[in-house]
Parts: sequence; C-alpha cells; structure tokens
Amino acid sequence: MSPVSSINGFSLIPVLYTPSTTHYIYARPHSSSKTESSNALPSGRTLFLVNTPPDATERELILLFKHCGTVERVVFDFEAKEHHDEADSEDDEDEELEEPVQVDEQPRKRRKTSKSDVPTVTPLPSTSLRTLRRTGRSAHIVFLDTSSLDRAMSRVSKPRPWPESEEPRGAAHYRALYASLRPPLDVVRDHADTSIELYEYQLAKEKQKSKYRKGEAIIDEDGFTLVTRGGAYGKTLGGGVGVASKRFQRAGESGRYRTKKKEKKEKEGFYAFQKAEKQRSELMNLKKKWEEDKAKVEKLKASRRFKPY
Amino acid sequence: MTRKTRKVEEEPDNKTASDVEHFGGNSGAEDGISDYGDMVEGDDEEEWGGVTGGQAEIEEEHRPGTKPKKPPTGEELRAIKDAADLFRSGSFKLQIDALLPNVRPKASRIPPLDRFLLSLHTFLMGIPSVSPQHPLEAARKLLKKGVAVPYSLPLPTEDTNWKVAFDSPSDITLAGSWANKVSVKLKDGLKFGVDLAVEMPNSLFQEKDYLNGRFFHKRSFYLATIAAAIQSPKSGFNVEVFYESLLEDVRLTKLVLVPKSDGSHTDFTKLNAQVNIIPVLSPSSPIPLHRLSPSHSNIRISTNEDAKPPTPLYNNALLRSFTPRSHLLTTYSLKEESPAFADALTLLRIWATQRGFSEGSRFCVRGFEGSGPLWVGLLALLIRGEEPRASDSKYTKRRPLGKGLSSYQLLKAALDCLAKSFGKSPLFVKAKDGHRFPPEEYEGPEAVLVDSGSFVNLFSGVPLGSVKLLQYEASKTLEILNEATITGDPFTQVFLKDSRDLSTRFDIVLRIDLSTVKPRSSSIQATLDSGSTSTALMSSLGSLVSRGLGDRVEAAAILHPSPAARPVSQAHPFVPDVIVIGLVLDPQNAFRLVDHGPAADDEDEVALNTFRELWGDKSELPHFKNERMIESVVWEVKTADERAHIPAMIVQHILKRHFGLEEDALQTWQSSFDSVLRLPESISSKYLASGVSTGFKGALSAFDNLVKAIKALDDELPLTLSTVSPTSELLRYTSVFSPVPLPASLATSMPPNTRYLAPIDIILEFEKSSKWPDDLRAIQKIKLAFFERLASVLMESVSGLKANVVVGNGAQESEIIDKACLEIVTSEGWAFSARIWHDREATLLDRIIDDKKKAMSHIATTKEAKKGKDYSEGLLAKELYIRRFIHAPRHHRAIAALCHRYTAFSGTVRLVKRWLASHWLLHGHITVEAVEIICAHFFVGDGRKFAIDADTEQAASHLVPASKERGFATVVQFLAEWKWEDGLFVHLYGPELPESSKPTAKGSTEGVWSISTEVDSNGRMWTSHGPDMVVAFRVRALAKATWDYLQGLEGGQLNVQSMFIHPTDDYDFIIKLDPTALTRYHHNVAADHSFLSKQGTYANQQQREVNADVLPGFDPARLLFSDLQRIYADTFKIFFDTYGGDRFGGVWDPTLKQPRPFRVLGGFSSIPVTKESDKAKEKGLVTLNEKGILGEIERLGTGLVKCITVQSKS
Repeated sequence: MSPVSSINGFSLIPVLYTPSTTHYIYARPHSSSKTESSNALPSGRTLFLVNTPPDATERELILLFKHCGTVERVVFDFEAKEHHDEADSEDDEDEELEEPVQVDEQPRKRRKTSKSDVPTVTPLPSTSLRTLRRTGRSAHIVFLDTSSLDRAMSRVSKPRPWPESEEPRGAAHYRALYASLRPPLDVVRDHADTSIELYEYQLAKEKQKSKYRKGEAIIDEDGFTLVTRGGAYGKTLGGGVGVASKRFQRAGESGRYRTKKKEKKEKEGFYAFQKAEKQRSELMNLKKKWEEDKAKVEKLKASRRFKPY
Repeated sequence: MTRKTRKVEEEPDNKTASDVEHFGGNSGAEDGISDYGDMVEGDDEEEWGGVTGGQAEIEEEHRPGTKPKKPPTGEELRAIKDAADLFRSGSFKLQIDALLPNVRPKASRIPPLDRFLLSLHTFLMGIPSVSPQHPLEAARKLLKKGVAVPYSLPLPTEDTNWKVAFDSPSDITLAGSWANKVSVKLKDGLKFGVDLAVEMPNSLFQEKDYLNGRFFHKRSFYLATIAAAIQSPKSGFNVEVFYESLLEDVRLTKLVLVPKSDGSHTDFTKLNAQVNIIPVLSPSSPIPLHRLSPSHSNIRISTNEDAKPPTPLYNNALLRSFTPRSHLLTTYSLKEESPAFADALTLLRIWATQRGFSEGSRFCVRGFEGSGPLWVGLLALLIRGEEPRASDSKYTKRRPLGKGLSSYQLLKAALDCLAKSFGKSPLFVKAKDGHRFPPEEYEGPEAVLVDSGSFVNLFSGVPLGSVKLLQYEASKTLEILNEATITGDPFTQVFLKDSRDLSTRFDIVLRIDLSTVKPRSSSIQATLDSGSTSTALMSSLGSLVSRGLGDRVEAAAILHPSPAARPVSQAHPFVPDVIVIGLVLDPQNAFRLVDHGPAADDEDEVALNTFRELWGDKSELPHFKNERMIESVVWEVKTADERAHIPAMIVQHILKRHFGLEEDALQTWQSSFDSVLRLPESISSKYLASGVSTGFKGALSAFDNLVKAIKALDDELPLTLSTVSPTSELLRYTSVFSPVPLPASLATSMPPNTRYLAPIDIILEFEKSSKWPDDLRAIQKIKLAFFERLASVLMESVSGLKANVVVGNGAQESEIIDKACLEIVTSEGWAFSARIWHDREATLLDRIIDDKKKAMSHIATTKEAKKGKDYSEGLLAKELYIRRFIHAPRHHRAIAALCHRYTAFSGTVRLVKRWLASHWLLHGHITVEAVEIICAHFFVGDGRKFAIDADTEQAASHLVPASKERGFATVVQFLAEWKWEDGLFVHLYGPELPESSKPTAKGSTEGVWSISTEVDSNGRMWTSHGPDMVVAFRVRALAKATWDYLQGLEGGQLNVQSMFIHPTDDYDFIIKLDPTALTRYHHNVAADHSFLSKQGTYANQQQREVNADVLPGFDPARLLFSDLQRIYADTFKIFFDTYGGDRFGGVWDPTLKQPRPFRVLGGFSSIPVTKESDKAKEKGLVTLNEKGILGEIERLGTGLVKCITVQSKS
C-alpha cells in the first residue's frame, strides 16, 4: 500500500519518532495574501508546516530540513499570533515588537531599543528550554533561498528520523525549568529595577508626545474645546462647566435617567375594577401554579418515582 | 365483601358512635379545618402564615359569573388553599397523593384473599377438638406430624399437673391494619400481613394460667394444633405454614400462611400477602387482668417466696393476647373521627419503614417488628390526648389535637412528639375507662406508651437505644422538613429514600459476631422475664453499651435483619448471630478522655460498686478533682486520630468484659479509614525520629512565626505590611496529609522519591500607597522588586531561612497576570509561597476588559481596536486575580472556622479529597476548594444555624455528621445522586453578607458543576475549569460504585483500602511512571514499599544524580501531567492521582477517531487515512495518529515515563 503523498495541497512529511512510530507533518509553500506581512515571511522561500510536534524546537526543525538547504529562521504559530499580536505601534522605540521566535520562557520585557537614551532592561537569565506548544499547531520555515523550498517540496522523502537537539526533555526539562524560574536575587533586582526605569521612561515619553499639555485646552479643528474630567490632566479648563461622569464616559448613559421612575398616574387599587382584576389575576396565578405542580408530579409519577420501595 | 370483613365493620359502628360523642364532648365543638390554630409547636408560622391572610379575602370576593377566562371554582380553590395551608406546599400534597396508592394493596387483587379467608374460617371452626392431655405428651404427638410446639421458658416438665387441649375457636376476627384497610407495604418485598385473631375458647383456661407461662404453653399447643391441621393435606389449603415470633420471643409466636401459586380462585399470591393466625383471649376469659400489672411477679421459680421480682415483659406479652380486638376498634374509631388518620398512619409507617423501624431483610432497628399497633397508639395519643395521672398534679397533660388536621400535620405532630416527649416519662393514651393499672408501676428503664385499651406498653421489648434512635431520626426529619433550602427536596428525603444504610446514618458502626458470646453474668430471672436467652442477651448488651457510653452518644442502637419465618417443625426462632451496633455521637462529649464515677470515699457504696462492675479493671482511683478521690476511667490515646476511636474502644471494652467477645469478633472500620490519610510507616517514622514539629499545629505556628518575622521588618520595606492571609489547605486543616516540614538534615536521610515539600500559600497585602505604578506590566515588575527586597532582608534577619523569587510558573506567558511569588523555606523546613495582592490591579484589568474605556482616546494614545490579545489576557488575569486574592482568603477563613466548629469536618474533607484524588480526579479536574465547599454543605445545612449561638447549635443539629466516616459516606452518596444541573447552594459564609454584589469573573466555563455560595452567586468560582461533562459523569459513576461498595459494611466484607483503588479498565491508554523518578511517591495510596526504602536497586545511581536539595513544590509528574493536559486538551482527557500517583490514564476524544477532512488548524496530530478508494483520497480525510501521539508523550516524559500500555476496549 502506498502512503498518501499529498493531501489538500499539502505534501506529507513523515517523521519517525521511533522506527515503528511515525508522525506526519504537512507542508506547503507559504503564500501570503497580505503584502504588509511579506517582509516577516517572505513568500517564495517560506515553507508552511502543519502539525509540528508539540515539543519541537527551532533547532530540531532546522535539523530536519537541513538536507534541503540552510534555514534562516523558524516561526512558530504565526497564524495564531497574527490576529492576537498588536499592530505595530507608532512609537518608534516600541517598534521591535518582540520577535515571533520564542526561544525560551524568559519574560519578554527584553526590549531591544534603537535609541541610546532608552534604559535597557537587564533580562532574567535564560536557559535554553523547550516550549511545549499545543498539539497540531503550525510553523513557518524561512529558507535562505528559494531553491531550498523547492527541494523541500519536491522530495517526497522516505520517513526521516526526528532529530534531537540538546534541550533537555522530560524529568531533566522540569528540573531545569524549576531552576530557571528561581534566578539569583541580584538578577531579579536588576531586572525589576531596569524594567521600572524603562516604564518610567516610557511614561515620561508618552506624556511628552501627547497632544495634551497640562493647563492647555484641547481645541479640535472645528474650534470646540474638549472638557474632560479630572485626573492628572484634567483641571477643568475654563471652569464652571458641567463635566460628564466617568460612568457616562464609559457607558454612554447617565444615571439620572435611569433612576427616575415613571410615576404612575393612577393609584393602584383606586378603582374597584382594579382591585377585582388584581384579585382575579392572583387567583389565576394560584391556579396556574397548582396546575404546574400537578403536571410536575404527574411527570414524576410517570417516571415511577413514587415507588418508595 | 366477605362475611368476616363485614362483621368487623358492623361491630365497631355502635361503639364508635359512643366514642365520637365522648370525644366531641371533650374537645368542644370543633369544626374541621378551623382548628389548625392549635397545631404542634414544630410547625413554623412562616410556612403557611403568609398565604392565609390574603386568601381568605379573595375567597369572599370570589363571585361567579364575572370572569370570561375561568378562574378556579370555589371547590378547586378550596383544594388549592388546603394544599398550601395544611400541607407543606401544594406540590408536597400532590406528591403525597401520588405516593399513597403505591404502598397500599391493590384492590383488584383482594377477592381471592377474601375467598381464602372465608374457607379458612370454615376450616378453623371445623378443626376437631383435642382432649386434654399432658403438654409434653401432646407435643410428642404433634411432632410426629412434623409440627413442633413452641413452648416457652420455663418449659413444662414431666411432672406438670395441668393439661393442654384444643377446642374450636369461639370467634375469628380479622384484626390489625388489614381489617381497617390501613396496611402499608413493607420493605424488601416482604408481604402484607393479614392478621386473623382466633379467639381461644374460655373453657381451655383456668384462673391460675397466668403463672409460670402456663398460658403460653396452652397457647402454643393451640397454635401448633392449628398448624398441624392446616398443613395436613386433608385441609385442602395450598399454603406453606410457618411460625414467626416477634422479637425472637417464643411467647409471641404466630402462625404464618404463605400461599403457593396455583391459579385457583383462592390463590392470592399476586397480592403479596400472608395470613397471620394469632390466638387471642376473649375479654371474658378466666385469667384475671389485675394479676398482670407491670409490677406483678408471675414467674415463681425461686424457692424463696419473699423475693418476687416483677415480670413486666412476661405480663406484657400475656396482655398482648387481649389487645387485637381492642386495637381494631380503636383504629376504626380513629379513622372515623379523623378523616386524615389513615393517610397519616400510612405516611408515618412509610417514614418508619424507610428508616428500618420495621421488618426488613437488611439491617433494621431492633424492636420494631410487628410494630403496627405502636404507630396507631402514637397517633391515638395525639388525636385523643393523654390519660391524666391523678398522682402527679404538676404533670401537664397533653391536649388532644384537632381532628381536622391534615395527614401531613398529623405526621409532623407525631414526629414532634417522638422527638420531644418520648422516653422521659411514661405516656398513656387517653383510655375510655381510665388507667387499668396504676401508672406508677410503669416506671422503669423502658420507654412506655400504653395503648388506648390500657392493656399493654407498646414499647415493651424495644431497647432503649432503639427508642433513642427513633427520637433522633424524628428530630432529623423535622429538621429536614423545617429546612427551607432550595436545593434539597424534602419529600424525597423523608419518604422516598431508603435511609437504612449504616454508613450515613451512624457515626461509628461496629459489626459484632455473636457466635462466641459468653455473658459474664446472666440472671435467670431476666431470662425468664424476657422469654429467651437471646432476647435477654440483647437487652443486657444494649443497656450495658448505653451505660458505658453515657452522654457520649445520642443513640446507640442494635440492628439486625428481621429473623425469617421458620418452619413449623422448629420450635424456637432463629437468633441473629451478627448484629450491628450503630452509634450516633454527641460531638461535644463523645471524645472525652476521662469518665468520672462516684468519689471513692462516698457513702454510696452501691453506686461505687456498680461503676466498678461496669468497667472492671479499667476503673482507677487516683484522680483528683476538687481534692477528692474520684473513681475514674481514663482512655489513653496517642494521636488525634485515636481520640476519635474512644467510643468504639468503650464498646469494645464492655463487650469484652461483660460478654467475653474478643477483638476479632468485633469489626470497625475507623482505623482503616485513618490509614488512607497517613504516610506509610517507614516514612512517618523518620519524621517522628527527627523530632520536627509536624501537623497542622506545626504548620500554623510556623506561619505565625513567619508573619512575625516579616512584620518585624517594617522599617526595611518601602511599604508597611498590613495583612498576611493564608490561603493554603495546609493551614485550614483540610489537606489530605497532615503537613510536615522537610529540613535539609532530614531530606538527606529520605529516599529521593519522597522528598516532596508542599509549599504553603500565603498572600501579603501592603498598605495602600500612591507609589504603585498605574500600569499592569509595571505592577508585576514592582512585585518582583518587592519580593527581592523582602527576600534579602528576611535572609539577613532570620538565620537559616532561605528565600527565592519565583518569576513565574513556566506555562504562563502573559505579562499582566500575577505570576511571581516569593518562596521561603524556614530553618525548620517549612516552605511558604507568598504573593502580593495589589487591589489596583482589578481596576486596571477592568479597563482592559471593558470595551468602552476609550472615551479618553482623544487625549491619551492612538492605539485603536487592539482588543484581541490584551483582552483575552486581561480576562484570564482578572479571573485569576478574583480567585486568588478575593475569594481564596475568604474561603480559607470560612473553612478554617468550620473546622473549629465541627470536629468531623476536617476529616470528612480529607477523606473525600483522598478519594477523589485516588480516583485521578482531584487537582486535574476538580479543585480542592470545590470539594471543601461541597463537604461544608453537610455541615452548615441551610445556614440558619449561624443565628443560634454556638452552644445550643451543636446539640440541635441532627443532620451534621460527627465522624469523618459518616461525613465521607454522606458526601459520596450525595455525589452519586447529585443532579448537577440543579446546582448546589452552600451557606458557607453565613447571613452576614460582606458587601453584596461581589465581582465575579466572567469568562467561558467548561465546568458543569455549579456550587454557589453567598459570595459567588453563579457558582463557578472554583469549578469553571472542570469537571466538565465527561468528568462529572465519571464522578457520579465512581461515587455510585463506591456507594454500593460501602453497603458491604452490612455484610462485613468492606475493605476500606480497596475503595481507594482506581479501576483502570476503561482508559484507552495507561502511562506508567517510574516510581523512583517521582518526588512524592510516599503519598501513593497503594505505595510499593520497595520503592520507598533508600536502599533500592538503583540507590547508588540515584544518589549521584539527585542532589539532596529540598525543592519545595517540585513535582515533575504533576508538571508533566498539566503539560500533557494543556498540549492535548482537544485530543484526549487525561487523569492522574496527584498524591504520588504512578500512572496517568487517558481517554481519546471519541469524535477524533472518525476520519475527517484535513484542516490546517485541526488541533490534533493526524495521520492520512490510507484507503484504496479514491474518494477518501480526494477528500483528504485524516484521522487521529494515536501511535504518534503516544510516541510524543514518551518523548515528552523522558526519564519519567516507564512505559505506555494501550488498552483495547472490549
């Protein structure tokens, strides 16, 4: 029996875990519809993989495709990220947008910055550990040249063994993880201090950048002055203007209307017919409830529930 | 209708008329419904008070003709109103109406019985008389026909000078409940009893027959003659004939006719009934009634003429021969007087039967066989009131209740009467002719309820322990009925559920094998009075056990299956050889260490001797109390576990001392339950030897010390610490194992797979400050800085303390979630894991989650519409925040308080947790908090107990288990029956609701359990991540299996350990772990001890690899488990016992096994379907790559996983 070699336009790459156990990776050349992300994943030399092993590391995938050519980089779970990731921020120094490649667990406050006056964050020490992703996820392999991609696609290879990289597995992995989560105290301190510095820097920067200055009114192009409530910015400029409450800002509705109840014109039970009607409806309700109870008990009876023994 | 039944109905008519008049005069003009004003105290006003006011008015206004849409007619309205007012609620009434026909005989099946009775009547009348002869000789003659004569003690001897004879009965009447059509079906398929009172002619008896059992001998012969006649093939009856003796008392033997199915016109097998022939005396018999008062001595065996000990039981048994007709008439007139009487009696009997106060083949409470007259007597007492006792002027007599009460009200009144006024002083039903015997004569140890004919004590022969249990059950039921919970269905609990199981009913169950019993002292007199040795033994056993336990128990009842009917060739009844003593503890006194007796120098020599006699060598002198020597019994216990055994120890001691029963005749299950909560001996001995302070006490004091140490550092920290809240089960007495520290010195001597140190979670709260940044990411960083600072200063100030900042948990990638913590290991080896609670986080998270936050967008930034990642992270973080910082500390406080209040609570939770864990469900699928809340449900009840002050509350509450075994059984039973769709509301926090409208986390919930409390209205706080549908069904199935297994208690074959062994057959694959690679293998419920010794096969190798560092909370198996759970969430369900389990079990998602089209984001590891057909290829079908996944798992668990076995399901 010949194994299927392609499925829905994906070619199959069988991988041998053990000589008897085979895992299947589905591969297809990457084609990006959006032009904007083309520089992230250059079409023509990017291979799209589906169902990568959950514990695959960049290194292992590189080794797996070594026979096709040099791999520039590996991107895991690009699709999943795409619609989660923030669009590029306008702030220049935020531009770095943490690389999609996640080499390890280390907290990603590790902002590489282009400008020299920006405080740098001392990263927490990183040990190379596997990231265990959910099963059945995808990855993109970016080759150095297009020919590698062709090679990768053309060769319906015989099953190849799954390569192993040096990152620890199993018990050793957990031991290493345990240790890496408890870095030396001075490193933690440095990391925390520098992170805070960066935060304060950004705060200051944001303040500078904001159109709004303390003590100045915001006037839009139509010449209207925006008056907002409080906070560090909001001394109500011009004074004496009623400002919407926070709740109004958030919910777009004011409490005043809700609290006001419509006052009924007629008093309840003023006319005899009201009284009679009320009583009648009460009786009806009573009967209705009784009938409901009856129906319920009938149902229970049908399920032979009333046989105590 | 046959002749006999008609006769019965005619006769009482004349009588009733006068009766009614009598009572009418007594209670004044009472018209039916109006008199529920003087209902019993037990009926709360609130139950039906609210409805009445408005409705009376409505009814007046109710005019016909004015409504087009048909409001209820007057009659309907009355029915509705009655249901609501006279019953608990409308649906309660309807349910009662639905229930009653089910326990009554089917009318369509009665005619054959009537025909049978008719021919039986003719037959009995025609039995030829037997001329007087010597009793023994007569017996020998009958024995030849295969019928033994059940003579009672003292047996007739060869030189007795009186004769037995038979003459045709002077009258035959249907009696008992059948005649009045108030029969109630019995449990376990037992038959309806049709009592036939056969009146023995007066000519057979002489005046002196009341002495020395002569009457009973004559009665026995009479019965045996009838038996022989019916049994002989000539009779033409196709029935089997048996003897049956009430309470194993030969004197109360009756003849039982069970039909054989033959399809003839008198075959009443379909009715499931039996005919009981009971010989009775006519009221005009020569036996003088005045000789039969309780204080008369009617067995004269002793030569000493002066000593005439009274023979109350004997007298009572004799008097029973007079009662059937009188009871028949009473019942009939009650039925006529009070329309709801029959229904009330039926309800009462259903209630009693469900609780084992009647016959049954399971363990039933001793003393309630054939107890029909008892329930009638009880209702008669309520309806007719009490016979006044002239001698006791200050005794306030019970007033008769109105005759218009509904059946439910009568039932409740009866329960109330049982609960409150029984056993205190004798009760006398109002009798027509006043007391027959002086009421003072009834003073004795037994409970007394004298029937309306003033003949017999209906409670005669019922052990006091059983009466106590009856009272207890009555109070319990009243509590259930008064409890106004939404979740509980009182109707089911009160009437429909079989409540005879031992494990949820008794705190301690002792199963006793009586085959080797040797009573230390047995008095002939007592034996003769009670009729047989076994009856005497039971009553002395019951009373001695009760005396030994004293106020430690609410009830100590003897239970055994009702003895089966015996063939007529056997004169003496079967005696139960296995009994169960069930103890219901009074938690306030039950675990007292010392029992004080009388003072040694007391003049009261008798009291002293009784005390010494009771306790034997256990009784000691040297105990000082107020500088007096007081005779005392001291129970020595070493651990808290053992303290819970004291009541069982007492029973054991008494049985050994007074009945020669050794330990192996006695079975209890307490210690086996204890053992599942304990570390294996080899490990615990090491802890013991090292002298570290262990247990919850040790953990709490370590916590206190740590708090002190941190508080002392206030100057060195940027902010002052305001509160430290514990949130760990180790600090609230509910962890499965009692907490232990692991100092480094001890760790080296422990095998590496037992070096687990559980960290104790605490939460630090600092004073409010404006210094905190207003950004979530920065807050997490500041926390790191805080931790670092705290760690450094703590390590400086406290020697031996180690602290580490843990920067995350490895899996959590979000930056805004609280994930860092401070890990502190004290010098004694306790580990703490501290987190910081900053309340600003909630606001900031809300801003992220809240869509419309961007009203300020003109000003602040231009980030737009970046909902995605931040939003979902925010939701997660918010959920975690609320759970960890808002709910966890509050939950902790509530649970810890419960542990202090109820001694059994902590043990219950620990057992349930252990059980769930050992069935691979805890932690992975069910949170410990959810378990704690479920368990708490059975202790807090409906929460109204909070209002009452602490002292009375415990005494009042009958539903609360007082031992962990009972608690466990209760929870298991609940889990087996719980319909989780209905949810569960637990009054955990009491009525003083802390600020309402508490934030609850939004978010998807896959869990199906909804356990709400006052602060968590939608009930998903602790169950949002499971159990999901699959797991919930699993829990139910497991609980059911365990529950069924628990019933093995009755047979004595319950092995507690095996209740905690998980069946693995239904898993698709089992992942076996290497026990030497685990860190908490010693917690395993069935640990293999060879892996727990340090000198294992691979000892040397292990030594090198593993450094002896203590790694708090490091549990690689658990980490692997949660990784697998996360990675393969949509592929399979995985199960694991986090307490040292060495196997994972997995079940594939069954939908994945079907081939399905290939999708890019399929979310599971697939393999193309290889099929010859092209169609499959075209469609690109794929299926689950099981082998590949298992290979992956093996790789992921390198060093942990030993092997994976795939199980093929049959």
